[in-house]
Amino acid sequence: MRKLGDIASQSGQLSQVPVQSLMPLPAPYDRIADLPPRKVLNQKVLDRIDTSLDGFSALGLARPQTPEEEHEFVKRFLSGLEKLLSKENNWTFLEQLTLSLDHCARCQTCVEACPIYTASGHDEVYRPTFRSEVFRRLMNEYAKPGGKALAWLKGEHVELNAATLGRLLESAYRCTLCRRCAQACPMGVDNALLTREIRKLFSMEMGIAPKEIHDKGSMLQLRTGSSTGMNARAVRDNVAFLDEEIRDQTGLTIETPWDKEGADVLLIHNAGEILAWLENPMAFAIILEAAGISWTMSSDLAGYDSVNYGLWYDDAQFARVAVKQAEAARKLKVKKIVLGECGHGHKASMVTADRILTGDLNIPRESALVLLRDIVMSGRLKLDPSRNDFPVTLHDPCNMVRMMGIVEPQREILRAICPQFREMTPHGVNNYCCGGGSGFAIMSGYNFEDWRFSVAGRMKLKQILDAFADCPSPEVKKYVCAPCSNCKGQFRDLFQYYGVWEKSGILYGGLAELIVNAMTDLSQPFIKWEFH
Amino acid sequence: MLTVMLISVALVIFFAGNAVRVVKTLRMPAHLRWELYPIPKGPEERQRYGGSYFEESGWWTKPVDTSHKSEVAFVLKEVLLLRGVWENFRALWSWAWLLHWGLYLYVLATLLALGEVLLPAGASFGTLHAAVMYGYRLACSLGLAGTLGLLVIRSWHPRVRAFTTRIGIFDLLLLGSIFATGMLLLTAGPAGLHSMISDLVRLPTFLGNHPAVWHIHVALLTFFLAYFPFTHMTHAYMKYFTWHRVRWDDSPIAHDPHAAKTLAVNLQRKTSWAAPHIAAGGTATWSEVVADADGNGAGKRA
Ligand code: SF4
Ligand code: SF4
Repeated sequence: MRKLGDIASQSGQLSQVPVQSLMPLPAPYDRIADLPPRKVLNQKVLDRIDTSLDGFSALGLARPQTPEEEHEFVKRFLSGLEKLLSKENNWTFLEQLTLSLDHCARCQTCVEACPIYTASGHDEVYRPTFRSEVFRRLMNEYAKPGGKALAWLKGEHVELNAATLGRLLESAYRCTLCRRCAQACPMGVDNALLTREIRKLFSMEMGIAPKEIHDKGSMLQLRTGSSTGMNARAVRDNVAFLDEEIRDQTGLTIETPWDKEGADVLLIHNAGEILAWLENPMAFAIILEAAGISWTMSSDLAGYDSVNYGLWYDDAQFARVAVKQAEAARKLKVKKIVLGECGHGHKASMVTADRILTGDLNIPRESALVLLRDIVMSGRLKLDPSRNDFPVTLHDPCNMVRMMGIVEPQREILRAICPQFREMTPHGVNNYCCGGGSGFAIMSGYNFEDWRFSVAGRMKLKQILDAFADCPSPEVKKYVCAPCSNCKGQFRDLFQYYGVWEKSGILYGGLAELIVNAMTDLSQPFIKWEFH
Repeated sequence: MLTVMLISVALVIFFAGNAVRVVKTLRMPAHLRWELYPIPKGPEERQRYGGSYFEESGWWTKPVDTSHKSEVAFVLKEVLLLRGVWENFRALWSWAWLLHWGLYLYVLATLLALGEVLLPAGASFGTLHAAVMYGYRLACSLGLAGTLGLLVIRSWHPRVRAFTTRIGIFDLLLLGSIFATGMLLLTAGPAGLHSMISDLVRLPTFLGNHPAVWHIHVALLTFFLAYFPFTHMTHAYMKYFTWHRVRWDDSPIAHDPHAAKTLAVNLQRKTSWAAPHIAAGGTATWSEVVADADGNGAGKRA
């Protein structure tokens, strides 16, 4: 890409994202020949879907086939642009949107903060300000009075056609909404917010969103109770299986309490844990029982799944899920909701939904990291740190840390129970995203995964390898503590793609598992050191 | 007289334009939370690493921090030192800092000059007069250096070049010309820049006696005043909103007695988002949309 206006070019791809240009990784991950080959899309697919941004497709957007179709596509987009600027349709984010549209100085102070832009070797299509500036110019030129003349005067004209929109949409799914760039902006402009508004327009006006987060995500959750598709009966069966597993593995007899009215704590996990990382909900059950906490799970619609994918792309879906979760807690008259290890679930429920959960729906919500910290520090569990005497580093999920300021509780725990704990650089509120944020961890698109691993997850992988630079051998087993389900999903796939378990002996997992692994009540180690 | 009239019109546009911008923002609907850490609130120990009240168990039972001490300190560092640019874009920083200080000093010198004019005639305030003279001198030198540097960076530095538009260059040229003509006026003797305010205020009918550069400077300033409210330069005060009302606004509704009323107003708004899963093919209030969890219009019928 040479200039911003190229976004409208009718043919060609704006970037090839050559592997050689990407930020180098430490050995042995620096050998390009060892990488899995990128998936090649066949011509039939390429003719049908839009890959003209960078050769990747997260959405499989069908290209308009006739001028009439293109006209209709553009018309619907324009109608969405206007709605974003209206109080009626966008009261939720109108102020933030207007501020970020109007006050960018185009100074580019923010760009080096972006892990995607820098890890891509400064590929211009991933510059945080690229999509924001295109969006800003489209808004100014096509949705505001006198916009066309002003755009011409200012030299900010952008051609509006199907190519522009196809690329803009795909580019909104090349940003993890990590908001690192927003932290760096001296004006308080938020490129991630703008990215989310683009996604919102396409979803709420045009019904276009990645199937993994809409059809198979929020829609499925509202229908069945969980984005995994588990209904109440299935989740209870699966958790009963976990209770049995606990008995088999540890000898402890635990029966997970369901729908217990008046419990102190309603624990809501990311339901994906119950299917993919059983050890995490198992560890929670062991800890809560050992600490004598009055707790329950809910089998009400959405009451057993903390995910809320609307946070990433759609205000209506977001509000619907948030209200359902709160209704489940209200019904059980619990004292508080505790959110399990799920970053976006934390932010959705505790922060973004706060002002839509009023009256008796505003049940206090707390992070599981805080509850775990209190339990560990209270001395209620008998813990032996020598059981965790292996190198451990901590990944900070953006939603919990940069967007909620939950920084220390998890560190207090790790400092207490992991003698070889070391930080990544940078960490805390300045952390880098895992590369799976904003839905990417569950998205595969057409060939989107190739991009997710080679570009989006690149900076994080480098950080992890650097944190363990003193013990690179695969013989030394190492642990990345990632207290977030989506981050774990990204680590699972990223590590598999690069062969990190085989080459470096690095495992990922949650925080609760490390606590249980240190419990002296258990005769066997809880962490199994098996990659999955 | 025409000059004075134009300046008056420009001043009206300046104040009205900025006021409209502020009032429009103030009147926007109460939005959802979208804070970003670190936030300069709470105990210092927590601020050191960017922690929040969410780190405390039972946070909803504890009082919120209402002190603005840390926020003020943060803002001062940002305004006086351009800390964000210093930390993230060093090559731009020196020039941006010079330009900003040029502007601050120009405004300050003008305010002092106004003070000088409005003081009782015949009173002698040597220090004040010297401050005005040196203030303008410093303002124009820093401002001009900053603008020239930024013009070079904007046109040459690979990080910003592609994002520099006609309007960006125009804004810099406008500011640069104000500082350059100010410099020229400073060298034009006692009738120079420091007497501009007094002449404008006291002797509006004799403005014709000034050299051409005086008129150019005043014309540029006049244009700038009328132009300013329509530019991104309004970030000078709109940062209050981006920082205080968005980035740092972490106040939970548990502490807001009006939350339910505010939400009720928003939920009664009618939305026309057209995707099938939103309002099921028509307009609906937000409360109907939220209740319609299947996206099939059931909420509307309920
Ligand atoms: S978003 Fe902020 S830092 Fe980035 S170009 Fe705009 S004003 Fe500068
Ligand atoms: S939010 Fe994160 S990924 Fe997106 S542009 Fe900003 S820094 Fe890059």
